[in-house]
Amino acid sequence: MRVSRWAYTAIGILILAVLLFPLYWMLNVSLQPGGSAVDTSWLPLHPSFHGYSTALSQQGRNLVTSLVVALGSVVFSLLVATPAAYALAHFRVRGANVVLFGILISQMVPGIVVANALYSAYNDLGLLNSIPGLILADSTAGIPFAILIVRAFMANIPSSVVEAARVDGAGPVRAFRSIVLPMSRNALITAGLFTFLFTWGDFLFALTLTTTEDVRPVTLGLFQYIGAYVNDWSSVMATAVLASIPAVVLLLVAQKYVAAGTTGGAVK
Amino acid sequence: MADLQVATRPAQDEDRSKANRSARTRERALQLSFLVPAVVYLIAFFGYPVVKNVVMGFQHYTTATFYTGKAPWVGLDNYAAVVGSAVFSKAVVNTVLFTAGSIAGQFAIGLGLAVFFRRKFPLSGVLRSLLLLPWLIPLIVSGTVWRWILDQDNGALNRFLGAVHIADRPGWLTSTALALIAVIIVNIWIGIPFNATILYGGLQDIPEELYEAAEMDGATGWRAFRHVTWPLLRPVVGVVLVLGVVYTIKVLDIILGLTGGGPANATQTIATQSYQLSFQQFDFGQGAALGNILIVISLVFAILYLRANRRAVDE
Amino acid sequence: MTPRKARTGLAITLTMLAPLALGACGGSDSAGDSSTLRVLDYYNNEPDKTVYQKTLEACGQENGVTIQRETVPGANLIAKVLQQSSSRTLPDVLMLDNPDLQQIAATGALAPISDFGLNADGYIKGVVDASTYQGKVYGLQPVTNSIGLFYNKDILDKAGIKPPATWDELKTAAKALTKGDQYGLAFAAPANYEGTWQFLPFMWSNGGDEKNIATPQTAAALQLWVDLVKDGSASKSVLNWTQADVNDQFKAGKAAMMINGPWQFPVLNADTALHYDVVPTPVPTAGATGVAPLGGETWTIPQTGDKDRQAKAAKVVACLNSDANQLSLGKQRQTVPTKTALLDKFVAENPSMKAFATIVQTARARTGELGADWPKAATKIYTGVQTALTGGAPPASALQQAQNG
Repeated sequence: MRVSRWAYTAIGILILAVLLFPLYWMLNVSLQPGGSAVDTSWLPLHPSFHGYSTALSQQGRNLVTSLVVALGSVVFSLLVATPAAYALAHFRVRGANVVLFGILISQMVPGIVVANALYSAYNDLGLLNSIPGLILADSTAGIPFAILIVRAFMANIPSSVVEAARVDGAGPVRAFRSIVLPMSRNALITAGLFTFLFTWGDFLFALTLTTTEDVRPVTLGLFQYIGAYVNDWSSVMATAVLASIPAVVLLLVAQKYVAAGTTGGAVK
Repeated sequence: MADLQVATRPAQDEDRSKANRSARTRERALQLSFLVPAVVYLIAFFGYPVVKNVVMGFQHYTTATFYTGKAPWVGLDNYAAVVGSAVFSKAVVNTVLFTAGSIAGQFAIGLGLAVFFRRKFPLSGVLRSLLLLPWLIPLIVSGTVWRWILDQDNGALNRFLGAVHIADRPGWLTSTALALIAVIIVNIWIGIPFNATILYGGLQDIPEELYEAAEMDGATGWRAFRHVTWPLLRPVVGVVLVLGVVYTIKVLDIILGLTGGGPANATQTIATQSYQLSFQQFDFGQGAALGNILIVISLVFAILYLRANRRAVDE
Repeated sequence: MTPRKARTGLAITLTMLAPLALGACGGSDSAGDSSTLRVLDYYNNEPDKTVYQKTLEACGQENGVTIQRETVPGANLIAKVLQQSSSRTLPDVLMLDNPDLQQIAATGALAPISDFGLNADGYIKGVVDASTYQGKVYGLQPVTNSIGLFYNKDILDKAGIKPPATWDELKTAAKALTKGDQYGLAFAAPANYEGTWQFLPFMWSNGGDEKNIATPQTAAALQLWVDLVKDGSASKSVLNWTQADVNDQFKAGKAAMMINGPWQFPVLNADTALHYDVVPTPVPTAGATGVAPLGGETWTIPQTGDKDRQAKAAKVVACLNSDANQLSLGKQRQTVPTKTALLDKFVAENPSMKAFATIVQTARARTGELGADWPKAATKIYTGVQTALTGGAPPASALQQAQNG
């Protein structure tokens, strides 16, 4: 007897319910009138939307800033990282291991050290409070990561496929663009997803590289409600909930494209 | 006729080999141009910080240094001080337990989920996307929510455990025995989406035909996993594990948000201790020394990864 | 496509390479016209943000300058200050949490207020101590606060208990008031400076000193806390609670008394069913003087190298500390003015602040004795407290362990 496919759906929903319980709790607190977390009932039976009205009225622009910076960082990171990943995976480049080593080391450095160095440089270059500046800075998380992940995925692409294209007269760039990229769709989407998430959740560069409220990602905007003395948790949670909605939509769209067997067909 | 051909051949050969060489050089240049933007970016953004971090470990670097620029060289004094401090051995043990526990949990559950989602069932795409929700929430928010859930008196977890009579209000964040476990659980929760999504992507790249062929040879389930899935998944597994170690060793915000390194240093890791030395006690030299120790530990894993990777390429 | 994009990428990154290769080259201060002053503070949330915005703008107008303000979250102020120190872009007016002033003054980044003809005469002594480094005053603090014992009037009346004034009374009262899921007392003892802050009134009132915490006086204070937790009058969660959490517990009726500060008044007042009052933190024996820690932020004048701007900045700082502003800030922010001459008038206009006005007069600055070495001592204090409260060691040895570091 084969297990019905809906049984999998049920199990999947159960797993997610357990895993996402803290997020439900966040939603619950955001709707509580008290704004505090003691004695929060399991269900928000008397919902209060003041947190949401505050968040909507004050964080709209910050949300857009976050989205623009995150998407910009994805584009920039993939543009820089994908050719490098391919080169490291398939070309016999001397010093490839040195580059990989350097990338791994870059992931080990505490973020604050990078932020401090960037602050000085940005200040001199006038890049503070700018969206391109933030995009460049946030790509410090995306580019090394994307190179490593895409390279690992590309390792499975058989060289025979590329060599066939080269024999047909395609240059390395043409081969890359027409053969390798389409086969690496899963890799690119996965790398892009996490670059988006790293940038979306970045607080350090948002704090360090801005001095005014003109360009203020929502991770920093959230702190408006977290003061030295008093916290307005309803607004904080409401902002977090609202901020995640456009991102979830993007994730849903992107995940649809992670399809099976993109490498399989080409071998035939 | 033949003489003519013989006479012209050497010249043609020379031209052709020259053309070959310049084609090869052009090819080489093109190949390098794939790498150059990334390398330039990395040097520009990471070169100075990495060097500075290493050097800071050997200097007496305080708040005054930020203003005056003076940082007297103290050689290994910072390292001696941090290694000799009472909390160091505890921090090392906690770091090892925290990293090992987190990676084991995240990877196992992540792989399980990736395999689970491989099947096509209704709503699988939606559920897979929702899996990434924890990463969309700022860490300050997740940390605070978990603090409330884990509160001993009123937290949701203890209320639940009390209702089903499993345990009587354990002090998740206040007991020296349980705090590290609690922090590891939260870190696993955060790491699951990362592992699951990347491993899922890797699984998707394994052609379905290989499974069909294996099935015809009688290999299904666990044997298919061992002979088809695992070898092809290895590069992705390698990256996930090495990045997992590098990221987990550095984890800071979650521990600080949940317990601040307490109670009584029960959750103090090398990373949190480094942060506290730098930003609470303003001894940046010692903080950097600890940070460099962390880098050395990560380097060991990085080297292991590169070795394993080279072997895989040769295979 | 790729080579062209590669070349553009290369160009962009090369332009970034040059300055980074030169390291933290000191950026020239934007010596704009001295009619705009830059201010940096950590009042990033309401209502403080608007209160100070209005006050700063008024002071700016009075002195013919416009204020350009940057606000950051509290925990990140020092990181910003350090970044700005190294790139020589410190603001003209810098707000600092009072225990951080000596640290920053020691770097040479601040100018003594006497350079501009200002002084701190008539201020509460502890407040001046915090803003003094090596005999010179570097900042002026307009308002201050501290912590005291809040109690739920209804709960205590029903149990027929008077608000405790001594440690013994506190222990008895807390025990008697612990029933069901209501604890007698709630305080905050987390693994950070908030834990230290809450322990100080008990430590100092008993004669303990931060220079060496391994003394019988400090151990006795810690024993009080250990006893309260051991006999169940205070929850074990105090090891993790922040003062905000403690307030939530008190507000929800889960604690009959709490140690907290006046910034909680607006939140507590919003709940009209809650009737509470404040008394000074109980002292070891009847008649002893309570010594509580001083809170609040001080305003400083960084060395920006531009004498004109510094003079104008000094005027703004002086304006912030004017009598009128001290009274107004105190009223709006539930804090106490720091000029002793204003205290009577202030209490008359704000009777709810009476207890705290009394408390701050005998309060002490955290950096009064150790100056820039305070952070290490503060860390030892909360480490010792946590070790004892988790049962890891009895108070005397816990403190000794912590003192040895």
